[in-house]
Amino acid sequence: MNFITSTLAIVSKDIHSELRTRYAMNALLMFIVTSVATILFALREDEVSTEVLSGMFWVVIFFTAMSGLSRIFVSEEERGTTMALQLVASPSAVYFGKLIFNCGLTLALSSAVTILYLVAFPMFVIKSMAIFILTIFLGSIGFAAAATIIAAIIAKANTKGTLYPVLSFPILIPLIMTVMKSTARALDGEIFTTALGEFQILASYLMIMIAGSYLLFDYVWKE
Amino acid sequence: MCEFLNQNQMYIVLVITLIIWSGIIWYLVRIDKKVGQIEKRLKKD
Amino acid sequence: MRFVKHSAIAFITFVILAGIAIPIVPQPQGWLEFPIIPGLEEKVRSIFFHVPMAWASVLGFLSALYYGFRYLQTKDFDYDIKSVSSAGLGMMFCILATVTGSIWAKFNWGSFWNWDPRETSIFILLLIYGAYFALRSALSSDEVRARLSAVYSILAGLTAPFFIFVMPRIVGGLHPGAKGDTAGSTPVAQLHMPPNMRFVFIVGLVGFSLLFVWLLDMRVRIARIEYQISLKEN
Repeated sequence: MNFITSTLAIVSKDIHSELRTRYAMNALLMFIVTSVATILFALREDEVSTEVLSGMFWVVIFFTAMSGLSRIFVSEEERGTTMALQLVASPSAVYFGKLIFNCGLTLALSSAVTILYLVAFPMFVIKSMAIFILTIFLGSIGFAAAATIIAAIIAKANTKGTLYPVLSFPILIPLIMTVMKSTARALDGEIFTTALGEFQILASYLMIMIAGSYLLFDYVWKE
Repeated sequence: MCEFLNQNQMYIVLVITLIIWSGIIWYLVRIDKKVGQIEKRLKKD
Repeated sequence: MRFVKHSAIAFITFVILAGIAIPIVPQPQGWLEFPIIPGLEEKVRSIFFHVPMAWASVLGFLSALYYGFRYLQTKDFDYDIKSVSSAGLGMMFCILATVTGSIWAKFNWGSFWNWDPRETSIFILLLIYGAYFALRSALSSDEVRARLSAVYSILAGLTAPFFIFVMPRIVGGLHPGAKGDTAGSTPVAQLHMPPNMRFVFIVGLVGFSLLFVWLLDMRVRIARIEYQISLKEN
């Protein structure tokens, strides 16, 4: 199979297995709902600054991502299908396939959190829609990019669950810091051009992460 | 000498630091020699 | 190697002598007097010791990264030994840098921690080291452990430029006052110091780097011996 067909095949395989069990999606959704509910109880009617709101927004996304995104590789190990995958597809196809799947998952995740926030917090008003949408888009893809390669790394480890956030957090810090700043701008209603600096950082983070992961994936995947 | 040290108290800090530092260096050199000996023994076997 | 050891001892002894004994006076004359920097006064002497700690921790990370990269190239296990030894040493210096910096911050800026860009980046370096060792302890096979920790160190290194070049622009926190302007948020900074202070400072940086090389050499030798013994036992 050539590169694109195998990549897309992997994406559709993952989508189908997720839809079949719906296990991951339900767990993630419940995770999001419970986190937002906890924050809601903590805040009640209090007025919070946009920085804090933006920070909490991404905290929920970060932890949800940490509980959900490692599944693409860990499930392969658990089901024993890793070797089959190694034989059938080239490493690059596997990487990009998993990456695309994770991007989709993270985008869905962030949209869910956005909707929940809009519903639950009256003070969560998105004044600059353009900034917000671009931030969510770039931020989610950036999350997925870093999370995918780390997921591949911990798939072979012993204590996968707790190791995943430990490894991912230092790598994700640049992304998280930038994205929180940018979201705060969106909540404040600033004009698009003020966030250009952040978008540049997000775009370069994306590119560096994907390029680096692509080059390093061979060493992680093959014995 | 004690009067000098009481006037320029920085030198008390200096003396303490030098003592600590020489202790560390003595320990380092000792370990270095020990490791060298072990390496020689391993080479013989 | 002997040159490294002797120079390390000589340079650091010099820095201890010069850094602590040279008096700080209002009108410094010549080479044996330091100026008073408002806000710092005597505490400025910490610079000669605290900054080299941070510099050594960065050295540790860079060496771990380099040796990891070489391992991936050659699959020679000796590189993995060097990589993990560098990382361990780097972590020790990182802890020392954070602790000494925190104590200095308490007396200079009022609190033990301020999330100033440089403080944040040394903290992140600590996290990276912690993650590196957490990863290693979770992998049982020698080969897998060497391979994956090398990959992780490279990944972590990819994010480093962000902290060096970008973060100061975003966070723009309180810059360590008398240290002057900074080139970035790593320990490497442009410092406006009078020439005699700068000389002692550079000697300190070089001396502690040499000490790092010596300590690394010792750790590697010991690790190699342990590895050989474990091979013989199996």
